[in-house]
Amino acid sequence: MSMGRFLLRRLLQGVFVIWGVVTVVFLLRFVTPGDPITFIAPLDAPPEVRQNIARELGLNKPLYVQYGEYLFNLVQGDMGYSYINSTPARQRIFNRLPATLELAVAASIVAVVISIPLGVISATRRHEPADYAATTFSLVGISTPNFWLGIMLVLVLAVGLGLFPTSRRAIGFLPAIEMLLTDLDPGGLVTWLWHITLPAITLGTYFTALITRLTRSGMLDELGKTYVRASRAKGLPETLVRYKHVLRNTLIPVITVLGLQLGTLIGGAVITEAVFNWPGLGTLVINAINDRDWVLIQGSLVVIGAGFVIVNIAVDAMYAYINPQVRSE
Amino acid sequence: MISELLSKLFGGVWETVRGGVSPRTARNLRKEFRNSLLAKLGVVLVVAAILVAAFAPVLAPHDPTTQNLDGSSLPPLGFSKETTQTSSEMVNGSIEVVNETVYVEADPNHPLGTDSLGRDMLSRAIYGARTSLMVGFLGTAIAALVGVTVGLAAGYYGGRVDDALMRSADVMLAFPSLVLAVALVGLFGKVSIPVPDPLVALGVESGMPDSFVLPGTVILVVGLVNWVWFARVARGEALSIQSEEYVKAARSVGASDGFIIRKHVLPNSVTPILVLATIQIAAIILLESSLSFLGFSGTTLSWGFDIAQGRDYLATSWWISTIPGIAIVLTVIGINLVGDWLRDALDPGIEGEGGGP
Amino acid sequence: MSGDETSHARDASPAISDADEDARNLLRVRDLSTRFFTEEGQVNAVESVDFDVRDGEVFGIVGESGSGKSVTALSIGDLVESPGRVTSGEVWYRNADLAEEIDDPEAVDGDFVDVRQVPENVRRSLRGPSFSMIFQDPMSSLNPSLTVGEQIAEAVEVQRRARANPRSTRSRTQGYGLADMLASTVLPSRSYVSEESRERAIELLEQVGIPDPADRADEYPHQFSGGMLQRAMIAQALAGEPDLLIADEPTTALDVTIQAQILDLLRDLQDETGMSIVMITHNLGVIARMCDRVGVMYAGEIVERGQLADVFDDPVHPYTQGLLGSIPDLDEPASRLQPIEGNVPDLYDHEMGDRCYFADRCPYAMEECLSHPPEFDTETGKPVDPKTDPGEHGARCVLANHEFRPEDALPEEYFAVESEDSSGSDREAAETEEVNTDD
Ligand code: SF4
Repeated sequence: MSMGRFLLRRLLQGVFVIWGVVTVVFLLRFVTPGDPITFIAPLDAPPEVRQNIARELGLNKPLYVQYGEYLFNLVQGDMGYSYINSTPARQRIFNRLPATLELAVAASIVAVVISIPLGVISATRRHEPADYAATTFSLVGISTPNFWLGIMLVLVLAVGLGLFPTSRRAIGFLPAIEMLLTDLDPGGLVTWLWHITLPAITLGTYFTALITRLTRSGMLDELGKTYVRASRAKGLPETLVRYKHVLRNTLIPVITVLGLQLGTLIGGAVITEAVFNWPGLGTLVINAINDRDWVLIQGSLVVIGAGFVIVNIAVDAMYAYINPQVRSE
Repeated sequence: MISELLSKLFGGVWETVRGGVSPRTARNLRKEFRNSLLAKLGVVLVVAAILVAAFAPVLAPHDPTTQNLDGSSLPPLGFSKETTQTSSEMVNGSIEVVNETVYVEADPNHPLGTDSLGRDMLSRAIYGARTSLMVGFLGTAIAALVGVTVGLAAGYYGGRVDDALMRSADVMLAFPSLVLAVALVGLFGKVSIPVPDPLVALGVESGMPDSFVLPGTVILVVGLVNWVWFARVARGEALSIQSEEYVKAARSVGASDGFIIRKHVLPNSVTPILVLATIQIAAIILLESSLSFLGFSGTTLSWGFDIAQGRDYLATSWWISTIPGIAIVLTVIGINLVGDWLRDALDPGIEGEGGGP
Repeated sequence: MSGDETSHARDASPAISDADEDARNLLRVRDLSTRFFTEEGQVNAVESVDFDVRDGEVFGIVGESGSGKSVTALSIGDLVESPGRVTSGEVWYRNADLAEEIDDPEAVDGDFVDVRQVPENVRRSLRGPSFSMIFQDPMSSLNPSLTVGEQIAEAVEVQRRARANPRSTRSRTQGYGLADMLASTVLPSRSYVSEESRERAIELLEQVGIPDPADRADEYPHQFSGGMLQRAMIAQALAGEPDLLIADEPTTALDVTIQAQILDLLRDLQDETGMSIVMITHNLGVIARMCDRVGVMYAGEIVERGQLADVFDDPVHPYTQGLLGSIPDLDEPASRLQPIEGNVPDLYDHEMGDRCYFADRCPYAMEECLSHPPEFDTETGKPVDPKTDPGEHGARCVLANHEFRPEDALPEEYFAVESEDSSGSDREAAETEEVNTDD
């Protein structure tokens, strides 16, 4: 199968899954106990007021009509208006999205940049101190709750040593870049970096540890294969064997697992945001859930689910690119 | 029909597990255990955590819920806390405010200190093990039950059943488990189930809470959020096994689906599912602590909850957040090490330590 | 290895062995021992093995699984991996140019160089142009995620780059740094391989009889059949134009008809290039079809050696006799080793003892077999030292020295107790060992 057809098929599947996500999110409201109106209307509101609210919000229509309208509006990019303060949900979600994306991307970069070399070193110097250090780190890393790690980082580096701020994003990445380009002022970028360092480490540690483990074990696995021996026998220098042959094949399963673990990254972002009061999607969702602000809950869950599906397709494309067997089967 | 299938499948879980562990596997387990220091460390940590959880009323020096505002925020042994005490006194007819630095010393009655409400940290850490392990084991059991059933059905029947089940698994996967868990717990509400403490009921130890609280919603939700992993593994096993000759033979002589699944498919899936379950216990313990940290839990006796409590006192009382965190890390390291041991010994397909679920 | 032994071998060989004979030798392997240091103990996979490989000949090494024959092959090619290590021995390789370059007088003997004594980078530089190797399972011997053509071209390219500076391994990646290697996993344009090498790879594919070589070069290993893949492996092994090709069970994983084709191909290529071949196999048919001389391995030792006809028609060692017992017609390619009662020992150092290693399975075991027998010349019946005088046909068995003496025979149950103890506990290890070293 050609790469194009492979991607097309994945895209179609993705659309299907997103539709499933939307449907589940929509139905969630009807299977959970409690009437949303209770959270909106004043406690002592008379029934007429409640009915009015219900009519206004379209909550009195039959389920399938509501579903149809919801889908219809969603396709046009309309997610409805927050029950609590009537702001458009889309606007609130997309205002928050950059902060979460920055965090997730920064954490992923930290993770990949540190973990793959670490895993390679660990596998190629097996049973040496570097290997023990890396395996210990990765064991502790996958066993530490990231919110606690964040708090400990704050405790030591921010509260104790005063090296980093304790919380809050002060400036977005794009505005910081804009500041750099228009005013030639790197201050914004420095502030951005200074604020994102601890959250990125907090979120990235689990992934760094996980990928280190995967890379190490995958590489050990590959190094034991006959083709490695054959490559050495034909005279290839060890660096070429390791990086051109082994690392590439090691990355194939690593990519698969990363695709599967993407949810953990997003979940981790939610809790990291809570630790650092980071104004992202995670804090928005939690507040919305506490407020029973259904429009906002649905909107954010749809965005998170769709984001997951889209990134996963990208991961699959990468996987297919690197692994010829997928492409040709 | 479903209930019949379930009872058929899981009526003899233990027999199946035992049947799935061949003598050769058992030998590998022993050999790997002998050779691996880490496996031993893992087992020690896990056994210790289980014992602590089981005998919490005996081990805990204080009732973990008793508040004592006079002895609040005491540091752990070996540490002291510096605070400023403000007092005012009359000096020459005018009131003078005196700021005085005092050192609060640790109280040997509270070896790990107390929290901001004067509750004993050690006792809370001990009782917290109960919540973590209960949620970890019960949640994993639910996830495995649902996931294995779905996965075996999908892999065994194939075709439409497989498509439908696996597409719904894809949809499940699109929701990060923490987000989904927060949403479900938040929206369905926190159900707390008080369970009488057998040790206290038997009169072994009095002065301890006579029941402990199971966070019901959390257990259910963490289970339902994680079934997909089991479904994937079970499906893969079912797919690979059902094309084997002996399964075809069994089918050709008219063995029922239930029989084939129970006799052939399930025993062969035991090993990977066992390894996965171990990893999942660790993942679910972490998930539970996250939920408690965010306030989506049904109990206040939880490590995650305590960490959240301590956040507000980081500048003055570092131990309130630190100690429960260390408890989590040690427990989860132990479980992960046991998982590595099982994986290395049982699963020759995955050499060395593979990744998370 | 001690310096003592080295000088002994160096002084002795020209004096005793015929100068002509030496000139015909490409390889003189002396006292080669390889051990595996496992958690269960030390495994003596190869135990003081000596043999010669002559110019343009096919030397066969035959034995059961776990006899150490594959490890011997890897040891010559310096490809033994942890936890294994070549612990002693000399591998003298005739290469006048190389002998010139090596300064260390210990490592040079006339035109011969002991590749075990040269620096590691020199030893590595011999992989490809001097020694090359093909393996049992072609499917796993090629990297599944690179095209077949690319992998063969790599083997060409590495020699092309090395020619600029023949004895430095660094030159093989000159101008191609880590960044390029990493980039090459994603960007095809940053490939290590040049266009010339690609073309040469296609020629090689044609030479080994792959139809449409230009198209097939762009395919991945999983698109090839087993036989075609083994041809591709051979093409890859030929890329460096080696003096010696080590073929480790090259046909075991293939269908019978394909086996014959591959063997014919190897024969033809040998005629064309004049290279020598060391053929490692447990298939007596392959030996009979291919080899000029043969060594029979048991428990890490060569127990019988000689011209193919001598060994096959007139085997002296009871193990060789057992192997050959079931083969009425040597030309039948499918004939396998006759199962001899009992197992190859696990080769744990602490269990090996000092007796003839075959004694517990040998129907003729006698008192004197309890002390390790030397090698005897089968003609004269005199002990010979294979290090200095390999002779025509030798066997490490007292039967080469004198007839079986029934009155000295060990009672049948002599080894019963001992073998019982060692069988249970370590069968597992034996299983792994099999996987590592043989089929
Ligand atoms: S030396 Fe003795 S035991 Fe060994 S093979 Fe010869 S006769 Fe048999």
